[in-house]
Amino acid sequence: MCLRRHAAHLIAGCFAAVLLAAGGAAAEQDNWPAVVAEARGQTVYFNAWGGDLTINRYLQWAADRLREDHGVELRHVKVTDIAEAVARVRAERAAGRDDNGSIDLLWINGENFAALQSAGLLHGPWVSEVPNASYVDWEGNPTTLIDGTIATDGFELPWGTAALTLFFDKSQVSLPPTNPATLLRWIGDHPGRFSYPQPPAFLGSAFLKQLLLLLVDDSGHLQQPAGDDFGKVTEPLWAWLNQAHPHMWRRGRLFPLSGPAQRDLLAVGELDWMLSYNPSEASRAIRNGDLHDGIGAMHFAGGALANSHFIAIPYNSSATAGARVVANFLLSPEAQARKADEQHWGDPSVLDIDKLDTDDQQAFSALQIGTATPPAAKRYLPEPHPSWTTALEQAWLERYVR
Amino acid sequence: MKPLQLDKVVLSVDGAALFEPLSFSVLPGTVTSLLGPSGSGKSSLLAYLCGILPPAITASGAIRIGDENLGRLPTEKRRLGLLFQDPLLFPHLDVAGNLLFGLSRGGSRAERRRRVDEALASVGLGGFADRDPATLSGGQQARVALLRVLLAEPRALLLDEPFSSLDDDNRERVRKLVFDEAHRRELPTLLVTHDEQDVVAAGGAVINLSGPNADKKE
Amino acid sequence: MLRRPAIVILVAVSAVPTIAGLAAALWFGLDAGAFSRVLGTPGVGLSIASSIWSGSIATVISLMLAHLAVGLAVSGGWRTRLNALTLPLLAMPHLAVGIGLALLLAPSGVLMRLLSPWATGFELPPDWLTVQDPAALSLIAGLVLKETCFLIMALMAALAQVPSARLQLQAQTLGYGPLKSWLTAVAPLLQQQIRLPLAAVLVFGISNVELAIPLGPGLPPTFSVLLWRWFTDANPLIHSQAYAGTLLLLLATAATVVAAMTVSNLARYVLRSSVQGGRRHSDDRFAQGVIKATLILLWTVGVLAIVAIVLRSVSGAWRFPALLPAGDWLSRWNDVLPTAGNTAAITVALATATALVGLALVLPAAEQCRHDARTRATVGAWLFLPLLVPQMTFLFGVQVLLVRMNIDGTFVAVLWSHLLFALPYLWGLLAPARAAIDPRYRQVAATLGAPPSRAWLTVTLPLLARSGLLALALAFSVSIALYLPTLFAGAGRFATAATEAAAAAGSGNLRLASVHALLLAVLPLIAFAGAYASGSWLFRHRQGVPR
Repeated sequence: MCLRRHAAHLIAGCFAAVLLAAGGAAAEQDNWPAVVAEARGQTVYFNAWGGDLTINRYLQWAADRLREDHGVELRHVKVTDIAEAVARVRAERAAGRDDNGSIDLLWINGENFAALQSAGLLHGPWVSEVPNASYVDWEGNPTTLIDGTIATDGFELPWGTAALTLFFDKSQVSLPPTNPATLLRWIGDHPGRFSYPQPPAFLGSAFLKQLLLLLVDDSGHLQQPAGDDFGKVTEPLWAWLNQAHPHMWRRGRLFPLSGPAQRDLLAVGELDWMLSYNPSEASRAIRNGDLHDGIGAMHFAGGALANSHFIAIPYNSSATAGARVVANFLLSPEAQARKADEQHWGDPSVLDIDKLDTDDQQAFSALQIGTATPPAAKRYLPEPHPSWTTALEQAWLERYVR
Repeated sequence: MKPLQLDKVVLSVDGAALFEPLSFSVLPGTVTSLLGPSGSGKSSLLAYLCGILPPAITASGAIRIGDENLGRLPTEKRRLGLLFQDPLLFPHLDVAGNLLFGLSRGGSRAERRRRVDEALASVGLGGFADRDPATLSGGQQARVALLRVLLAEPRALLLDEPFSSLDDDNRERVRKLVFDEAHRRELPTLLVTHDEQDVVAAGGAVINLSGPNADKKE
Repeated sequence: MLRRPAIVILVAVSAVPTIAGLAAALWFGLDAGAFSRVLGTPGVGLSIASSIWSGSIATVISLMLAHLAVGLAVSGGWRTRLNALTLPLLAMPHLAVGIGLALLLAPSGVLMRLLSPWATGFELPPDWLTVQDPAALSLIAGLVLKETCFLIMALMAALAQVPSARLQLQAQTLGYGPLKSWLTAVAPLLQQQIRLPLAAVLVFGISNVELAIPLGPGLPPTFSVLLWRWFTDANPLIHSQAYAGTLLLLLATAATVVAAMTVSNLARYVLRSSVQGGRRHSDDRFAQGVIKATLILLWTVGVLAIVAIVLRSVSGAWRFPALLPAGDWLSRWNDVLPTAGNTAAITVALATATALVGLALVLPAAEQCRHDARTRATVGAWLFLPLLVPQMTFLFGVQVLLVRMNIDGTFVAVLWSHLLFALPYLWGLLAPARAAIDPRYRQVAATLGAPPSRAWLTVTLPLLARSGLLALALAFSVSIALYLPTLFAGAGRFATAATEAAAAAGSGNLRLASVHALLLAVLPLIAFAGAYASGSWLFRHRQGVPR
């Protein structure tokens, strides 16, 4: 079976990476005090998606703490899409600005990581130098080491893990349709009440990938680069979409532009559904008053699309020490617990709780879980090879932009 | 005070002279009247004396106060008092502010203010110090404008039809006031006018400007 | 001109980066492969067509409304009221108008909530394409709302150059009604005067993202929004596509402007023959009523848009059809304030610097051509250049140059980019105001012994104060509203109300967008109110100071 062969390959890769990380770690972390000293007084421009007030506030908290504790000035450069930042690094490379780049830290994963890594535009490997990296659940969570089928090789540090979750208004959806066929039936029965973010918005592309993974016979095939058989493999996906679109919001002639846009539409009553990679998104939104009560959540029974998100340092950053200190802080049990706290962000931690000391474990177990947060997905489906994402987005545009 | 002297003064536009070379002198305390049709260059002559001639007009000839040649001095150093047809009180300053602007340097703030108040009282405008100039009548504005010039302690007075915008009553009163002050302070005074009555009241020499171009300009 | 350094500096500050940016855009954008990829993009033809369509239609409607409004207001004696009506809308940035209209007109928007369910019966919002409709009607509505006000102001300024009252009277004595007199005798002359502003309106209509992001069609978006997305894509192939695309945008804009000039000549011909027909009808009351109603409608929509922004900025969960958001409004404000505070500080700092530096550049130049109307017009035309080119085209070139010089993302770079757009307005206001000051005041001051510097400070400057304050407020507002310049020159490091609002609206997050849109809408109003109030207060007892 392709799937099993792939899993074996994946796990072997992980172990190799773990061993590598553990081996070099002890020596490199000896230099840490020097890094911390060098970082003092540096300003770190952190290019991260800025479309969410709560996340922005979390980063503001981190900036305050970093200023107090380490004398590092963290500036959150809010981008609409991290691809903007990737483009900027490339532009600087093209312009020959090989040091003193405008970006010091990136919130990144998937194709954007692949793009920078393959062009040699990332600083590193540096992950093993960061003391708090030793708490990461490298062994239990393979997505911390393999980012969209590409090994991270110590060039990016996992920051959080995500599983594609569907949220719905319980007053409109009595029985959650947990497979593509039942979802399609629900859409037909409730015209104008379902939509998904417009690809290439990343949640929109994720929805396409999730459906594809569930609709193809052999999902292992999707781990290989997309080839000539793209049309044939993706045929069931287009069939599904062609049937769904006429019954969707605005009859499929307009789509929400992003996840938060879709949440907005759920909040004002235009839609009954929203998507998120963050299982606690709805609970957190309800607590903040951004969503009304009575939201339910589900993963597809066939498995939830999952990935980790990372932070990386561009090759031309002039504040790599500061960037590493920021990264270390963001991975500290304190910062990770606050990040997992639905009152502050509600993004599941990448740390292995068992590796922490008792106090820190306490902090995690004290977190309150909201009513709209689903139990952990029963199966995680790894991301297809990035080439599928690009091809899916292109094919979607060609089909539905008229 | 010293006489105001003009020596072979010619103004020209595009190389054409506006009038024959002009030489005369105005003695202290006397008023010389300058007559001529519009376009004859009489207002421009005053502008030349003050150093504010528009660039389109070129000039030659000497102007002196006593022995001092004014030609090279910037306007603000010539110390010639000029009264336009309109009072041109600064609209953003009150009456006192306008007079303080004119008042020559020196003296404490209180002292300067006292001199301004006295000057106002001397022309029947006591208590007008804090008024907005825009609320004054034409005659009142003309009197303030005269005071402003006199407080600057000029060495000569140049009058560019200053009475023509006033009604008959005011014209006579303001004219008398101006000429009386010119006599009292022994100022050589040059008056540009259209009005025969002005010339009669001035009582001094009369110069008629009718140059080679006068007819064309009319 | 060369003997007057302040004028040379002023024009250079504006024209050098604009022309250099354009040249750089041509240099880096000309790439046959990229062009063919642009043309191969799904829906690109429709995208370009919808840009040209929305920009042109909006310009035509705005121009007609503006002419009618000014003509009727001047002959109907409500010119001051027209000013008061248009200024607040003019001060409101395009982005705020766009976001506000989206929040107002959406099926779940404030308008539908006002009517539901009592009048419409809707318990759930209807699935209608009222905003972001494929025909771009909502985008056109937004453009008309803004550009009508802009053109009204341009016409009002042009009135000073034309003996309008005498011309109109002359036509009226020949038996034509006041409106027809205006349209036949005065409007054509005004039209000649506002050619540059009109071209700017057309260029902006075709190439803007500020209104097209929240209001424009979705599949495909207008061409400028498509380019904007490409600029922010990771793929370098797509990036070069964006470069090439800006040249296509330039071409489309230029072609439309040329076509518009041809059409307007044609219109003048038609108008002339209609005059020669000699038909007269003298009753304007119906037209007066219609145009007043239209203006009041525009104004009401503008106010409601602000109301919608306010409501959305304090609402989280806000299920249709509730008219007011649920929950604790004050606590929602507390949520918003810290984030908005930082942004507001940067926005205000940038806008203040723009206004002050702009004033420092414009005042000496205005001084140097106070007697020279022709130079004033020439300088004005040069300063207008950045408004006559699609922003994206030359700003992308400017960005490349800034990166090469290693000064992108600096305050100075952003400030400079803002000056490009503030200077034409500063000049338009201050140069005529300076020229209108009676030169004899300076001469009086000189004969009273004041040297030139003192005369300028104590006489000229106070007489210019009112216009100067207004010009400061205007430049401040222009800077507040700028989005693309901040984005391109700021390397994404400057989070202003406009960049935040555009980023949020760009990802469709209208709740977040409304927070920043509120800031966008309020800051210019405060600036104008402040300028008027301080001007009136300074000269409260001085009737003669020019307004």
